[in-house]
Amino acid sequence: MADYVKLNGVPASEGVAVGPVFVHVPRELKPERESISRDAVEDELMRFGDAVEVVARELSETAERLREGGSESEARIFEAHAEMAEDPEFHSEVEERVRNLESPEAAVITVGEEFAGMFAAMEDEYLAARADDVRDVASQIAAELMGGGAAGLETLAEPSVILAVNLAPSDTARIPKGMGLGFLISEGSRTSHVSIMARSMGIPAVVGVGSELEKALRAEVVALDGVEGYAVADPDPDTISAFEKKQRDIAAEAALLEEYKHVEARTSDGRRIEVSANIGSVEEAEDALDWGAEGVGLFRTEFLFMERTELPSEEEQYEAYRKVAEAFGEKPVIIRTLDVGGDKDLPGVDQPEEENPFLGWRGIRMCLDVPELFKPQLRALLRAAVHGNLKMMFPMIVDNVEVRGAKKLLEECRQQLKSEGKEVGELEVGIMVETPAAAIRAADIAPEVSFFSIGTNDLVQYTLAADRGNERLTRLQDADHPAVLDLIGKTCEAAREAGIWVGVCGEAAGDPAMAPRLVELGVTELSMSAPSIPRAKKVISEL
Amino acid sequence: MEEKETTIGAAEGLHARPAAEFVQKAKGFSSAIVVVKDGREANAKSPLKLMTLAAKHGEKITIRADGDDAEEAVNTLVELISTEE
Repeated sequence: MADYVKLNGVPASEGVAVGPVFVHVPRELKPERESISRDAVEDELMRFGDAVEVVARELSETAERLREGGSESEARIFEAHAEMAEDPEFHSEVEERVRNLESPEAAVITVGEEFAGMFAAMEDEYLAARADDVRDVASQIAAELMGGGAAGLETLAEPSVILAVNLAPSDTARIPKGMGLGFLISEGSRTSHVSIMARSMGIPAVVGVGSELEKALRAEVVALDGVEGYAVADPDPDTISAFEKKQRDIAAEAALLEEYKHVEARTSDGRRIEVSANIGSVEEAEDALDWGAEGVGLFRTEFLFMERTELPSEEEQYEAYRKVAEAFGEKPVIIRTLDVGGDKDLPGVDQPEEENPFLGWRGIRMCLDVPELFKPQLRALLRAAVHGNLKMMFPMIVDNVEVRGAKKLLEECRQQLKSEGKEVGELEVGIMVETPAAAIRAADIAPEVSFFSIGTNDLVQYTLAADRGNERLTRLQDADHPAVLDLIGKTCEAAREAGIWVGVCGEAAGDPAMAPRLVELGVTELSMSAPSIPRAKKVISEL
Repeated sequence: MEEKETTIGAAEGLHARPAAEFVQKAKGFSSAIVVVKDGREANAKSPLKLMTLAAKHGEKITIRADGDDAEEAVNTLVELISTEE
């Protein structure tokens, strides 16, 4: 390799870019004047009002433009910003300071910081993240008061790779169309605003490069790889052509995968493999269908239970399950019953602190012990099954004591619903195979259920005794380990003898290198994050 | 003056979208309206103040209004906020 400077970061938005560097220097949040004279108060209040009006209008216009372009969630960010700009409490605090002879720009910055500080200190992650939104809005009003935003992103006239410490939504919105080739950002993670905006704009991005960004500031050209998560400052001609080739390959691959989105995956010897999506909320259903999902192989229900003060009612759960079932129509939707443990709080359930929550009171263990938690979910599922092709599965199963216990409760719920005169649907019952115990004794369990769904992430963790989150154990976090493959093979063999089918819903299902091995072992359904679906279908069709 | 206690029905709590809708409705009334949670008060027409209450699904809040359309304001907002999504 030639001697150029390489910067490593987080891949935040897929794609590859090569282009001239544009360094975005944020408007410095420093008021031009700290104080004003007493006779200027009324004029300054008027200027403040005008500045708010201009900023709020611009934000609303941006929201409108995004909405027309189909970017609904991005539009909502700007709409919320427009409302913050017009907030009456924000205004009255600024106005009071101006009446006390503080300059409006200084007052806006101070009050903005006060609100930002309040949000930043909040426990709720969502609310804490609003601190940056308030700062973004306050800085726009302050900049407007000081004679409009400094010449910046909106003046970009040549398609460029944009380098910045961070980009606020208001920054990304000011980039003229087609002028942003890529983002190289020192702060941020995959879930930062800048990453979300980059993905929705289809602009490759590498974020979180930290202080390394300095190495690229003086470069004339930067090449950036948003798939691998790195950038090269002043690349030599060979590197540039390698990046350009990557760019063409990505475009060709995307076009090819588009063709596979909506085909039925079948191996060359005619075996039909169902390729489904893992989803974690009702909203993800449509997106999954767009990617070509032939069903839902794993619908996580935890979202219904999190961040609230009461357990969700049967009715609320019924609505959620019904909506997903209806969205998929004839296509199967497998709903996994609640799978939480001591690592997450459940409202109304007394969960003792545990030293080892992943080996603790969780999943089906907790549900069987707390029928008032489990029964509303079972009842909601039985009722929702009327509206589509629903199946259900129990997580964390170890043996038949649990399977029979859960089935008994399900049957009780069915009888109760019938005696209440409520309509009840038929649904297949399966289990997650994610403990070595369930895989080893799969032959005992198979006659009790209609299908197995192998959760490779936990099966790997429990089989290899390697914490999923421990960065030093990457070698032991792979489903492609003989011990794990043996257990998957054993599970498939037991299923074959009992005449039931086997799916896989862990990360291995969406891994192009693993999918062929799983199919070879006898798996007939692969469920993965929706964007992985076209590639998986292509891989299977080539087997 | 008019006031009523209610329980938040929206699954997301008084965050994000439900808050925006709530503020829009509140702005339609001439009365001064406050939301009270655990003794803390917030102007119902201020999304920033409202969010700092961090009111979640299932929590109790009181809505209080003072002005010509106070009764209608309280009833409308209570109905909006107590509805389960």
